[in-house]
Amino acid sequence: MGEETTSLGGIHISPNAVAAIVYHATLQSYGVVGVAPKNLVEGLTQTITHEPAHGVSVRYDGENIDIDIYVIVEYGTRITSVADSVSNTVKFHVEKALGMPIHEINVHVAGLRVSNND
Amino acid sequence: MGIDTVRVEKLRTKPLDGQAVKHLVEAGLIWLKTNQQTVNSLNVFPVPDGDTGTNMMLTMTSAWNEIKDSGEKHAGRMIAMVAKGALMGARGNSGVILSQLWRGFARATQDSEIIDAEVFVRGLMEARDTAYKGVVKPVEGTILTVAKDTATAAEAALSEVDDPIDVLARCVPAADASVNQTPELLPILKQAGVVDSGGKGLFFILEGMLRYIYGEPLDMPLATAQPLSSLNFEEAMQEVEEGQDYEVVVDFFPGGQFELQKFYNKLEEMGTSIQVGEGDGMYRMHIHVPLDKRYEPIDYIMGIGTITKVAMENLTAQMDEMGAKTKNTKLELANVEPNQIAVVVVSPGPGLSRIFASLGVAAIVEGGQTMNPSTQEILAAFENLPTEKIIVLPNNKNIILAANQAKEVTVKKVEVVPSRTVPQGLAAMLAHNPDGELASVSEKMTKALGEVKTGEITVATRTVEIDGVNVKEGEVIALLDSKLVASSKSIEEGVMAFLKKAKADEHELITLYYGEDYSQSDANRIVDVVREAYPNQEIELQDGGQPHYQFIISVE
Repeated sequence: MGEETTSLGGIHISPNAVAAIVYHATLQSYGVVGVAPKNLVEGLTQTITHEPAHGVSVRYDGENIDIDIYVIVEYGTRITSVADSVSNTVKFHVEKALGMPIHEINVHVAGLRVSNND
Repeated sequence: MGIDTVRVEKLRTKPLDGQAVKHLVEAGLIWLKTNQQTVNSLNVFPVPDGDTGTNMMLTMTSAWNEIKDSGEKHAGRMIAMVAKGALMGARGNSGVILSQLWRGFARATQDSEIIDAEVFVRGLMEARDTAYKGVVKPVEGTILTVAKDTATAAEAALSEVDDPIDVLARCVPAADASVNQTPELLPILKQAGVVDSGGKGLFFILEGMLRYIYGEPLDMPLATAQPLSSLNFEEAMQEVEEGQDYEVVVDFFPGGQFELQKFYNKLEEMGTSIQVGEGDGMYRMHIHVPLDKRYEPIDYIMGIGTITKVAMENLTAQMDEMGAKTKNTKLELANVEPNQIAVVVVSPGPGLSRIFASLGVAAIVEGGQTMNPSTQEILAAFENLPTEKIIVLPNNKNIILAANQAKEVTVKKVEVVPSRTVPQGLAAMLAHNPDGELASVSEKMTKALGEVKTGEITVATRTVEIDGVNVKEGEVIALLDSKLVASSKSIEEGVMAFLKKAKADEHELITLYYGEDYSQSDANRIVDVVREAYPNQEIELQDGGQPHYQFIISVE
């Protein structure tokens, strides 16, 4: 994805590389305490392969970049605000790195972590 | 302005109950609101977050709305309501962190009917712990660090004082010091020359509470004097504005009471680039003023203190000198009126900049193929223009994104006309109308982009095959609208190959802009060849001055 032709040749960026950017940007967002595998199968594969970007999926159909992120949020924070800042942070970092606009970012809150019961 | 000691003593005797908490929260909010723009201005650029000051203010406003009509006497229950309100209204990263701080504070104080020093400190520590739990990788040099340092100072204070007012009085300077320390911990802050915005916001909330206790006004921002050593006149030199011809620096000792805010206000009436420094009771004032006002600051200061030294310099002369050194003749950029549309262009070469200037652009950012300007530079180009309506012409496909980002972060109304090449930018400029309506002018300009074909002639830096064209290192290549269309042995062949691909014989005007490493006589020779081959077209040659590209060609 992210194909671009310069006077010297092509540049191809794999969805995995983008996913790694997304993963790190997500973990930088306040309120996110972890990412979660999308489903059981992915969870198992990722445990085996140690993929750097689990909990993130990036799709590119030749025109649009769509990103799905599965996060675990700290209990007691305002979830919508946290999710909002995740999409903002991810959009910013990916667009900065790729120079391509992102079509869609879906943040799935897969769970909450309870550190303190109020 | 000063500490109202009678008031402080009176507040000391009263227990810090729910209603007292309410007053403190209100004071924190008002003071934050007063200084909101200061916090916003600290945003490290470019940031993914919105304006920190506004976000924190809205979060605190939501907390305040929760308690403003409450008659609750129980302090713990009151703080729980504050925490709930902050949670519900949390906006942006900094707002969420602020709400977590309140949540932690509320948890530690929930059973306390009144807040004594010990409970207050426990609350600050729990606030810190809760906030740190909310993120996987806590970044130091942020609001988290300020919360931590404040809690540490509070804990230390507990062994010496036993009144929450005294604890707060020690927390505020600690928070201030912590904020000032943030650039040492977070390099990006240091690069941008700012302190952390969220940390500063937290500081204002705490300081607002203390100012309330001291009986100090909360509704006007403080004008602050920098230490003398940190005054940076060289930098101020760079930003000489039109008409501000003289730089005046006055050293003086104020006589009697000296009110900084009033002083600033007065200076703002006279000129720009105002800086005030202070050291050992002496003040130094720096200002840029127009020719006919050059004695005004001196006369004014004479009236309020004793002047020890005056320095005055003619900036225009200095700038001319600087300009002459770099051989840059000053460009005649268009003056825009407040309600007009200003155009900002990115230009890769001095010759092209002159052409853009002659077409009426209001600001020029240097940059191009190999030196993309940052969003910051684009933003800086139009932030100081006196109008709200801005059109940006990036003139390079790699700069369009930066231009769009500048559009997102500014409060001005910005339209990016996505010109991918210089000829497109020039074509768009011809469709510009400064007095039109922003949306329709930008639409017209965008439409104009398609009316021109762009050629770029350069030398390949390595051997490659793209778009079915084989290129060897050192060969001349021709690009038509950024797509490689031909390779050849000489510049002349490259130009001719491009014109053929662009079907120049079906158009009217061919303009060639020659680059910085190409001589005018060589360019003239090429133009002669082109004229011979295209006798029915009008041919123009211009000095573009762009690097890397021997020619940029427009066909329209």
